[in-house]
Amino acid sequence: MGRDDKCHGSRRQVLRAVTAGSVAGLTGLAGCVGDPEEAANGDEALDTIELAVLEPFTGPFADLGEERTQGTELAIEEVNESDEFDFEIEYETYDTQSDPEDALSEASEAVQSQGAQFLTGCISSDVALSMNDFALDNEVLYTPGAADVAITGERCNEYVFRFETSTAQIAEAMAQWTYEEQGDQIFYHLADYAYGESVRNEFESRMEELSDDYEAVGETRAEFGAGDFEAYITQIEGAADEADAVVIGSTGEDLTTFLSQAADRGLPDEIPIVTTTASFTPVRAGAGDAATGVFSGVRYYPDLEMGDNQEFVEAYEAEYDEPPDNFSRVGYDSIRMMVRGIQEAGSDDPTEVADVLGGLEQETIFGPNEFRECDGQAVNPVWMGELVEGDDLPDVEILMELDGEEAIPACEETGCER
Amino acid sequence: MLGTAIQQLLDGITLGLVYVLLAAGLSVIFGVMNVINFAHGELAVLGAYLAVALTIQTGIGSTAFVAALVIAPFLVGIIGVALERYTVQPLYGRNPLYHILLTFGLVLVINDLVYLIWGTGSFRLPRPGVLTGTIGAFGLGISSYNVFMIVSGTLMAFAVWALLEYTKYGLIIRAGSQDRQMVRNLGIEIDRYYSLVFGVGAGLAAFAGIILAGNRQANPELGMSIIIPAFVIVVLGGLGSFKGAVVGGLLVGILQESILRPWVPWLEGMVIFVLMIAILLIRPHGLFGTELAEEGGSERLLAGRAGGLLERETRLKLGLVMIGVLALVPIVAGLLGNQFWVTFGSRVLVWALFALSLDFVMGYTGLVSLGHALFLGLGAYAVVLGLIHVTSSVFVALALAIALSAAIAWIVGFLSIRVAGVYFAMITLAFAELYYNLLYRLEITGGSEGLGLIGHDYYYGIAGVGASLDDVAFFVGPVVLTGHSLFYYVVLGALVASYFVTRRMLQSPFGSVLKSIRENEERATFLGYNTIVYKRRAFVVSGAFAGLAGGLFALNNAFVSPSAAEWLKSGEVIVMVILGGMGTLYGPIIGAGAFFGLEQLLTHYTGRWRLVLGTIFVLFVIFLPRGLVSVPTMLAPYLPGGPGPAADPGQLPEEAKTEGDD
Repeated sequence: MGRDDKCHGSRRQVLRAVTAGSVAGLTGLAGCVGDPEEAANGDEALDTIELAVLEPFTGPFADLGEERTQGTELAIEEVNESDEFDFEIEYETYDTQSDPEDALSEASEAVQSQGAQFLTGCISSDVALSMNDFALDNEVLYTPGAADVAITGERCNEYVFRFETSTAQIAEAMAQWTYEEQGDQIFYHLADYAYGESVRNEFESRMEELSDDYEAVGETRAEFGAGDFEAYITQIEGAADEADAVVIGSTGEDLTTFLSQAADRGLPDEIPIVTTTASFTPVRAGAGDAATGVFSGVRYYPDLEMGDNQEFVEAYEAEYDEPPDNFSRVGYDSIRMMVRGIQEAGSDDPTEVADVLGGLEQETIFGPNEFRECDGQAVNPVWMGELVEGDDLPDVEILMELDGEEAIPACEETGCER
Repeated sequence: MLGTAIQQLLDGITLGLVYVLLAAGLSVIFGVMNVINFAHGELAVLGAYLAVALTIQTGIGSTAFVAALVIAPFLVGIIGVALERYTVQPLYGRNPLYHILLTFGLVLVINDLVYLIWGTGSFRLPRPGVLTGTIGAFGLGISSYNVFMIVSGTLMAFAVWALLEYTKYGLIIRAGSQDRQMVRNLGIEIDRYYSLVFGVGAGLAAFAGIILAGNRQANPELGMSIIIPAFVIVVLGGLGSFKGAVVGGLLVGILQESILRPWVPWLEGMVIFVLMIAILLIRPHGLFGTELAEEGGSERLLAGRAGGLLERETRLKLGLVMIGVLALVPIVAGLLGNQFWVTFGSRVLVWALFALSLDFVMGYTGLVSLGHALFLGLGAYAVVLGLIHVTSSVFVALALAIALSAAIAWIVGFLSIRVAGVYFAMITLAFAELYYNLLYRLEITGGSEGLGLIGHDYYYGIAGVGASLDDVAFFVGPVVLTGHSLFYYVVLGALVASYFVTRRMLQSPFGSVLKSIRENEERATFLGYNTIVYKRRAFVVSGAFAGLAGGLFALNNAFVSPSAAEWLKSGEVIVMVILGGMGTLYGPIIGAGAFFGLEQLLTHYTGRWRLVLGTIFVLFVIFLPRGLVSVPTMLAPYLPGGPGPAADPGQLPEEAKTEGDD
């Protein structure tokens, strides 16, 4: 909306023209020279960082988007108040509507109108993957929120750094625990899209390593957003005698609805239900009692005594009157890790920041952590938990912990070349 | 094994009955009032949320569940009556298409109100103890709530049936759904029953919404997930037929839960649409639909032609000025140093082209395609897959997209154009949904992750001669035009060329036949034209241009995912066409600009911009059905000194007023 008439966009364009070998590129530069703000924004004086927060504020992931933004905003506030950094963050929020086309349009606006060099956000995998490409194309730094393996795997690039725990990491804890506590005869119920597929692949490959007798007893696949799971529950019940556990590869509304219907049918009494994300607050709140007795991989829990997590929880509760959850902590530390990279690089040039951020050891809510140099993935610890009766909504009881190095796949296995 | 089979059958019946309740209201509303109510799913959601309010938010909890089951549908029924009185009623006598647009607006409004009042999370409805847990019977653990759903659903369906069959109201409503005019001739004011029917239909939807929310979750997206299956059922059973809704609902419920999901899950999401297409082809009015002739003859689409307000010359000049202004956008953006207007402009122009393609078939032959996103998606994937696997020339890839879309349009047209009106809309929707489902399932399309073009080299040119847009730069004074700015000109060029090509086509004898079909298909037939062939040709042309738009859509994003072919995109493009004014070719271009302009403007002021957008659509349909292009004509009498050049730009010659009167 013509908020500010900076020259960022055209500067990028001009640089391209110059590298293309055009002598006349200099003429283009002339258009920007007169702009005082542009001059002040050189590499020397680093005072404001333009950040774009791209989240699904409408559509199926709206609650997660809002939760994450709370964490993001808390981190921005702390950075701006702190003396530790030589700069302040200016940010604007954009609604991706959970649609790649809308997200790309908003991201263009962020980069070209706001002059953002740093992007954060997006919950669903397809949107985050489109943003991956956008970040590379526009040479801006991006910290995504989706768990899809490909984001720091086959479709990774040097501008993407993920603090969210990937499905590969969570599957490591789930597989170890399931094998030790339940057995190796597994039934899968998956949402039929990239996420469900990756849950099965990651879980299965680990199971195969752990046990020679591993067997996939059966599988049901529901459309993404199916809304009704009775038929699948019937099939799972039919296989309950042979299978040691049913692994659920779905999240969000798909998962809450599945758990609600499964509880009505008495499924948790017949077979252990192992999920990837039932520990999320919206899932626990949505499914209520239906979630008790369900097992879940845990990416984060507020009681955690690690790093500066307790300070984060305290600040978060003071600000929002509720405990933080997975998405808010991703928003929070994505920002903190990113700004430390900016500080280290001493520059707001995303390329320079990306160069130093990979492998930069820093303190997080999970203690010392880093975005790995090989794939940009944070080395987060993971847990296995059970949902037990709580006051308002079910509590998460931690059953097992796996530290970051153990959970993360080896660099060679990620398929990431950057 | 038997136990499992019984359980599977029960699953099917449970869901089937919910579908029956939803479809019954939808079907009767259509039968009696000819209204296609897209907001029906949202009314169900509203029912579910009112139940949430009555049980959870009052703090009463599960004991209020039964009360909520009575009160919430009643309240939604009242809302339904109000909606009918104040939004639907002004539209009677117009083509059912306007109801699609109106109720599409209502979907946005109601859905956003739910977000506004109840927030984004989902709720689990508290239910009395009797209705939770399982009942042991025949060695099976059957969920008590499912039993409750079956019993209450059956009772409700019977009640509706009895109401229709044994009361005077029912008699009139049934008569009305068969032949409205006859009922009027008998001296009964059928119009007064409309509100009642709409209210009862809404109440039924709310009831279905509540029992469904008890089984699943109350969440704002519930409506979106049930409206498409409900439509399929209504069409399968026959619009306006209660019996059809019952049979269709149970059929789809059992097919989905008891047969497809357990035995052939990979076909789910396809079979239902294939079934719908097949039934429509064999029995164009559904299983139990009446075979009466369509009343479409008297209910015309209101084309947006302004009709001789401006001189032909003036309009041509205005059009050229408009193109000139659009051509200046990248340069001005370059001067201001804000490239966003270029990327935003590219997006609008791509959609303008898409809307133009739809207008060619909708505005000139009266065929309302509810599945035009099929061609957008086809073009988009054709370009991306073409550039990845086949060629590195963008032009070749675009040609591929156009050819593929045209070919598929011919096939879809061949199968669909024999049915008319609403049935055509539904059959095109079915094809689009088939394709959408296919995109998720195929390996080559990358499934839900989509495909990116980054890392693949491609150039604008042919046979190795050409360059990547990033490697070329033009210098206009102090402004450098490269990359996105050049792409903008590619899109603008495509749009202008498409406009002139389609306009030329419409001025040819072929175009005259199309217009005669729109005005009066029967007369065109009497003159000896095979109208089906002409309509199909128009559909192929439209598909080809939509494919081109799709290709540019993918290039603009450098990314494509299945959402390119989702039905909401089809709905949005219809909105753009009507917003601008259909049957004008330039109206939809203005409509696309207005749509995105509004969205862009509103998102900056409120997170609940859909509410505002929806309200604007509703007001538009009611007060300005001929679209933005009709504004100058409407204002003309009030302007001193007659119309001046300040009137809407971009208006080009068009014949005098031709739209039908009601």
